[in-house]
Amino acid sequence: MLRKKYYTALTLLGISLTIMIITVFASFIDQIISANPPEINRDRTLILDKVSVYKDGKKTDATPSISFLQKNIRDLQSTEKISYFTNREFISFLNGKTTGHALKFTDENFWKITDFEFTEGKAFHINEVKNAARVAVINEKTKAYFFNENEALGKTFPIQGLTYTVIGVVKSASPFSKIYSDVYVPYTTDINIQLTDKAVEGTYNAMLLAKTNDLRKVRSELRARMKIKNTVSAVDSVKVQAFTSLEQFSKSSSFNDDEPEYGKTAIVVGIVLALFLLIPTISLVNINVTRIGERAEEIGVRKSFGATSGNLVKQLVIENIIITLTGGLIGLGLSVYASQLLVHFINTFDPLFKMPTDSFIISWRVFGFCLFSCLLLGLISGVYPAWKMSRMNVIYALKGGNNL
Amino acid sequence: MIQLSNIEKVYRTKTIETIALNNININISKGEFVAIMGPSGCGKSTLLNIMGLLDAPTGGSIIMDDQQVTALSRKKLALFRNLKLGFIFQSYHLINDLSVIDNVELPLLYRKGISGNERRKRALEALEKVGLSARTKHYPNQLSGGQRQRVAIARAIIGNPEIILADEPTGNLDSAMGEEVMNLMLQLNKTDGTTIVMVTHDELMAKKTQRIIHFFDGQQVS
Repeated sequence: MLRKKYYTALTLLGISLTIMIITVFASFIDQIISANPPEINRDRTLILDKVSVYKDGKKTDATPSISFLQKNIRDLQSTEKISYFTNREFISFLNGKTTGHALKFTDENFWKITDFEFTEGKAFHINEVKNAARVAVINEKTKAYFFNENEALGKTFPIQGLTYTVIGVVKSASPFSKIYSDVYVPYTTDINIQLTDKAVEGTYNAMLLAKTNDLRKVRSELRARMKIKNTVSAVDSVKVQAFTSLEQFSKSSSFNDDEPEYGKTAIVVGIVLALFLLIPTISLVNINVTRIGERAEEIGVRKSFGATSGNLVKQLVIENIIITLTGGLIGLGLSVYASQLLVHFINTFDPLFKMPTDSFIISWRVFGFCLFSCLLLGLISGVYPAWKMSRMNVIYALKGGNNL
Repeated sequence: MIQLSNIEKVYRTKTIETIALNNININISKGEFVAIMGPSGCGKSTLLNIMGLLDAPTGGSIIMDDQQVTALSRKKLALFRNLKLGFIFQSYHLINDLSVIDNVELPLLYRKGISGNERRKRALEALEKVGLSARTKHYPNQLSGGQRQRVAIARAIIGNPEIILADEPTGNLDSAMGEEVMNLMLQLNKTDGTTIVMVTHDELMAKKTQRIIHFFDGQQVS
């Protein structure tokens, strides 16, 4: 490996770039669907973000209003906790600079369903929600922006012209998650909430924490509830949709807006990953054919002294796996920088709202998956050239046969 | 020890058929040191490769150590080579990426039940026999031609093979070094009773062996 520096460098480059892309892609999917902190209950957390109204054979989809949600799903038997939230934005002016911030109006249950790590203070309680207290929980990025490195607790800052007091600072959630925000405040302070009070249509979502992993129970209770409690007059029927993150992802990636189709999702994700792996694998096979081909004489010598084809395939594949794992580890390291670069790139599209640069977190799950991909890459790209080389005629190999 | 009967080797292309060996019948006894001589292209090396089970004859049979080897599977041939045969090549064929001792150990890597320590011990003994115990950590490109060939001899004898096949072992060496290598092989034959078959162009070297077989145009002439 060290003697063939050119081929080794080329192989390492190919593998590390491949693994880097796979890692960024896998950590993106991981953050969308997996139960990473603070979304530790993701497997049984459903997001209700759509209400469909049927009238005269026509279907109209909308985001529900908070009054609709509170009237219809407040006391579901199959859920442990229900939280309401909506996502807004606000602009701040500081030191002559204009910056956008993600703002989430929510309630006390939001902090019970999730598991945010508080670096300062605490979450808001039911009383603060009831009393429409102007208190805020902010993430570390927002703290750094408004208060630098100083303690933020008890300090105030303006949101849409109103002053809020910081009562807690949390570590940021993934910006690809539904629970991400720069600032969290009680929904009762939402000045736009009254506008949609009586209507079905609004801007609120509900987060439902199911009692068990049997999510069908929640959905079936929701369906039954919509039949009984149809408070919307002059419509034929109303349906709501509540899905987990994995189900949402499955719906979007299987191009079916209504129902999650895991089979199709697996195929789509599989095809994307296979393409990421296949192209470099073919290149690596070619490089390996040349690299191993240059060792024809060595193979001939080993065969002369009793090496079987199996011995040689084992040796060459193990060597290939070592080089692939080395490349994979470099790729994993590179993926940290690549993800930050990607965030910077995404941030250039919106001058106001910036994602945190540490948005991509490589979990142990992703790390394991990428190591497995490395092994697979090493195995697939090494077996064919090694097998072909091991079958080479000994006399021809001893003469340094330079092709297979 | 080695019994070749009606051995033929024919190379065929779409248009040409070349007879490399024609009706070869040779018997070599255990402990014999035989030289095979003849002009370039007469089939000496082809015969040696067939004896070494590195190449298959087009026709005929080979019996080695009372075993019919022509019909053995690839795996069994590999095992036979590993246990019974040792090779010395004209151009040494040492692996440049491996140190001297690692090169010498190589045949034992493919033998079951030999520990790393045992391999190392036997490699040191083999290197001592060829007078290179001070060069164990060197790499082949740090050695002279004669030294490389002595490493190749150590590699050939580490597995205590019954037969050593040497293809022009002194061909790339000056006369002094050639003499040194030849003496080593004579000593192996004498002290260990190893059967040696050597292909050579050098009549002086051939005369030191017990028997000379002459080849011409793919046929045995004496």
